[in-house]
Amino acid sequence: MNSLRAFKTLLRFSFLRLFWSVNTMMVLLPVVGCFLFVLRRGFGKITPPENAFDAFGTFLVFIFSSFLIPICALGFGTTALGAEREEQTLVFLLTRPIPRWQVLLAKILASLPLSCGIVMTSFALYCLLVGSIGLKAFLIYWPAMLGMTIAYVALFQLFAVVFRHPTMLALVYALVIELFVGNLPGSIKRLAINFYGRSLIYGLGITEGLKTPRGFEGIPAAQAYWTLAGITGGCLFAAFLLFQWKEYRDTP
Amino acid sequence: MIDLAPSSTTEFDLTFSRVTKFYGAVIGLNDLTCRIGPGITGLLGSNGAGKSTLLKLASGQLRPTQGEVRIGKLKTTSTSAKRLFGYCPDVPNLYEEMTGEEFVRTMCALHGFPDDEVRDRTQAVLQEVGMADRAKRKIAGCSHGMRQRFKLAQALVHDPQVLLLDEPLTGIDPGGRQEINDLLFRLADKGKSILVSSHILHDIEMLADQILVLGRSRLVASGSLSEIRRLLDDRPLVIEIIADNPRSLAAELMTFGQVLGCDLQENRLRVRTKNASDFYVRIQDLVVNGRQTIRQMQSLDEGAEAVFEYLQQGKHSS
Repeated sequence: MNSLRAFKTLLRFSFLRLFWSVNTMMVLLPVVGCFLFVLRRGFGKITPPENAFDAFGTFLVFIFSSFLIPICALGFGTTALGAEREEQTLVFLLTRPIPRWQVLLAKILASLPLSCGIVMTSFALYCLLVGSIGLKAFLIYWPAMLGMTIAYVALFQLFAVVFRHPTMLALVYALVIELFVGNLPGSIKRLAINFYGRSLIYGLGITEGLKTPRGFEGIPAAQAYWTLAGITGGCLFAAFLLFQWKEYRDTP
Repeated sequence: MIDLAPSSTTEFDLTFSRVTKFYGAVIGLNDLTCRIGPGITGLLGSNGAGKSTLLKLASGQLRPTQGEVRIGKLKTTSTSAKRLFGYCPDVPNLYEEMTGEEFVRTMCALHGFPDDEVRDRTQAVLQEVGMADRAKRKIAGCSHGMRQRFKLAQALVHDPQVLLLDEPLTGIDPGGRQEINDLLFRLADKGKSILVSSHILHDIEMLADQILVLGRSRLVASGSLSEIRRLLDDRPLVIEIIADNPRSLAAELMTFGQVLGCDLQENRLRVRTKNASDFYVRIQDLVVNGRQTIRQMQSLDEGAEAVFEYLQQGKHSS
């Protein structure tokens, strides 16, 4: 018996289970919807180029990073462990000779490539559709998009560890709380990942003509990067700690 | 310590040492001390008695609030201990999108066996639980009994020393029960320790050499089947009898030493008795000798709840 082989089996099993789940389809629907929107909007045809960059940047802030990234992250981040809890199958994993931290690690590693893959591929696709402005946007913003995705995945993994029905809670959180809190005045908006994402996008895009909306007081891009890294690290640390000690009694 | 395997100590005995488990303010298991060795041990108790808590503690899913649970020298929560036991949970859901074979194969692979060994073990265990011919079916389309067998297969697939089975016979037809019982007997003969829970006395009687009876989170009785039977024989029982001449019958019954009282309601006679076995023998004599005609006779509190209630009262008074 080999522990590494068991871990690799769990990783492959978790990845394939996520990939072939209905979630993949659910996540791809808004991705396709956005593709059609970008195609129809014709960002590349807007003149002068600064205005095109600004319009595409606005799409990235308000639709891509505020809606599509959280959906992709929760579609896989929450479900990786959350589905095992909701379907009461977690017991079969917890009674295998695999340390608990490895169970969670496998779930995170299975969900990250899917979430990040769909986010980054769709982002690249939209940028390609837009043309040279899009290419410029991709080169500027890809670290911000990746950072936000990873932060959301970490947060939603924590949701799955803590809550018995994490998917619904994560959906409400992503679509209501994040947008609501992220747009509140004062310092309370700093509780939302979305706020740091927008700060990054505005901070990085300002030199290329992206206009910061009136009333939005972001933080410097470097600070936003570090904060996203901190949120990711904090959520993952809390998730591992709780998963190690939490007793799951999800049976009926 | 209650020793359910006094003659055969092995390095894989399951030991509970003063184990108490709280769920917040609710107690799930109260001060349990026992050792479970090779052979089949039945875990009997009504719903909510603490059977599943005990099995979850034994399978390392829960940590005791006080005391400790070990398999051999290993705490059951340790990763190494999980190689030694197989656990069949009382959950209806499996990985519904898989076939039975894929499910068992995946569970086997999660033990870290090489691919060819995983394949061989999966085939062998599916054969053993009688599911080889139905292994390619999607679990989503399987009956409850088939799911139970797949669950049993995943618990057996790594050839564990200790088997923990939570209500494994639920939903299985009589023929299937006999097959699973035979399988468990074979495993017990190989020296495996098997702990089987049920809330049905009959299931456990058919299977177990030793019995643990739980009631309200406590161990209320333990021992061999004959010892438990002796305890149950002494419990008071209410028997309802419909006879042609209930008054005369009541007068005769009151001369029996086992009868504590009679209560006549229309033509129904309710008899409170202790030592039911002796009572049944004596009333049989009355009928055979033609002194009384009895139309119907039934015990009013033969249910598992009444049995546990009685054993629990005995525990408190002792």
